[in-house]
Amino acid sequence: MSGETVLRVKDLYKRYGDRIVLKGVSFEIRKAEVKAIMGPSGTGKTTLLKCIDMLVKPDSGRIWLEDLELTDPRIDIGEARKKIGFVFQEFNLFHHLTAIKNVMIGLTKVKKLPKDEARTIAERALLKVHIERELWDKYPAQLSGGQKQRVAIARALAMEPMIMLYDEPTSALDPQLTGEVLEVIKELAEDGMTSLIVTHEVGFASEIADEIMIMMDGKIIERGDPRKVIHNPRREETRRFFSKILKIGDESR
Amino acid sequence: MNLMISLSKYLPYIFEGSLWSLGLVLGGLGIGFVIGVMFSLIQVYGSSPLRRLISLYVWFFRGTPLIVQLFLFHWSIFPALGIKSTPLITSITVLGLRSGAYQSQIFRGAIGSIEEKQMLAAKAIGMNDWDAISSIVLPQALRIALPQISNEYSIILKDSAICFILGVMELMTRAKYTAIATGIALIPYLMAGLIYIGLTYIGTKLFDLLYLKMRIPGSVEG
Ligand SMILES: Nc1ncnc2c1ncn2[C@@H]1O[C@H](COP(=O)(O)OP(=O)(O)OP(=O)(O)O)[C@@H](O)[C@H]1O
Ligand SMILES: [Mg+2]
Repeated sequence: MSGETVLRVKDLYKRYGDRIVLKGVSFEIRKAEVKAIMGPSGTGKTTLLKCIDMLVKPDSGRIWLEDLELTDPRIDIGEARKKIGFVFQEFNLFHHLTAIKNVMIGLTKVKKLPKDEARTIAERALLKVHIERELWDKYPAQLSGGQKQRVAIARALAMEPMIMLYDEPTSALDPQLTGEVLEVIKELAEDGMTSLIVTHEVGFASEIADEIMIMMDGKIIERGDPRKVIHNPRREETRRFFSKILKIGDESR
Repeated sequence: MNLMISLSKYLPYIFEGSLWSLGLVLGGLGIGFVIGVMFSLIQVYGSSPLRRLISLYVWFFRGTPLIVQLFLFHWSIFPALGIKSTPLITSITVLGLRSGAYQSQIFRGAIGSIEEKQMLAAKAIGMNDWDAISSIVLPQALRIALPQISNEYSIILKDSAICFILGVMELMTRAKYTAIATGIALIPYLMAGLIYIGLTYIGTKLFDLLYLKMRIPGSVEG
């Protein structure tokens, strides 16, 4: 995998009160690369993604989006955020807006595009995540979980981000709805969308990711080729983690 | 019979009073809305000295009787500021300031009930604070607040009767003059009461319609 570095995270630290949640996280993602972050609950995965989008300020460490240093306090953070797509676990669609307006609002308010142009882009983004015309004027409360999450992906996508961050995009979904969302994420990745995905879906991660990073207690303890990390990890903690989630997966079947 | 005839001459006079009352109410409600939205935003997002100042304002207007506020503004504050006010202007201003105090608390509660994640999602697509507040938080908060604003309407309508004390030519004042002129108390005051009931009913029905129109399809609340 070649290409220039899109995202660079260096030695990131974050604490909440006296609890240190991120303890020196570093990694890079190059253009069109897909990386997955896995790890037990409460180990700082969401915090890491929020720091990258500057929704949470890291205490120390630096983050670059190509040449732009996001941790530089002088930059316009709104300007930076619109180049990063963020997909939340609970979708967080704007409740009072229809599907298509959810996608358009960033284009009209942030990018200041005229309405008809925003609409064209929004339509294209919605079709890309397989949300068909008859759903465009539905409100979030009228959509299924899988549809909501795909609209949320379209909302991020429409801003033409340089990278997409997904925070457990299918964890809030009924099992039969995860497929349609994972499929969309995979299609986007195959189209060359640089992606950083926090997920518990082992099969999905091993299929899509160029690299899996295992996060535990605020640190990345192991990283590498998916098959190797999942089936033949170097660390005992990694092995235990996978045997636990794979076992849970078996039981639920 | 003669009495009835002389009373009927006053009918248009009393009805015109209900227009004045409605003017007081809509003026007060409108001013209160603007103040309420602004002050609630400051109370939720503003700096702490400003927040304290607004708490003080709310404390005063919610903690004192309307009649005290009317007298204070008409006979003391406006003259001291060199403002030549009429009873109507003082009444609308005071009703507005007072309603602003109540409405700011209504909107503060409504804004507080919006999930923080809505704001987070707005920031994530690059919105600045003002865009996130004005196009995501406020539209949702207004919907939530609407039933309480409807309630505020029916309160301010009845409060407006107190403005007769300054001699504004609203419903209550005219009912009183009619009673004095004709020597009949029952009928003018009963009419005034019925008109207040009618205005309350029509107003809250209109708010109900507005609420249905603004309701977010598919949502369960309300
Ligand atoms: N705003 C906050 N204030 C205080 N503590 C927080 C805050 N956000 C997160 N934490 C704590 O930081 C730790 C890491 O949280 P984080 O959400 O990043 O974990 P996670 O790896 O995403 O977990 P999960 O798999 O459950 O989503 C947790 O112990 C959490 O309680
Ligand atoms: Mg998380």
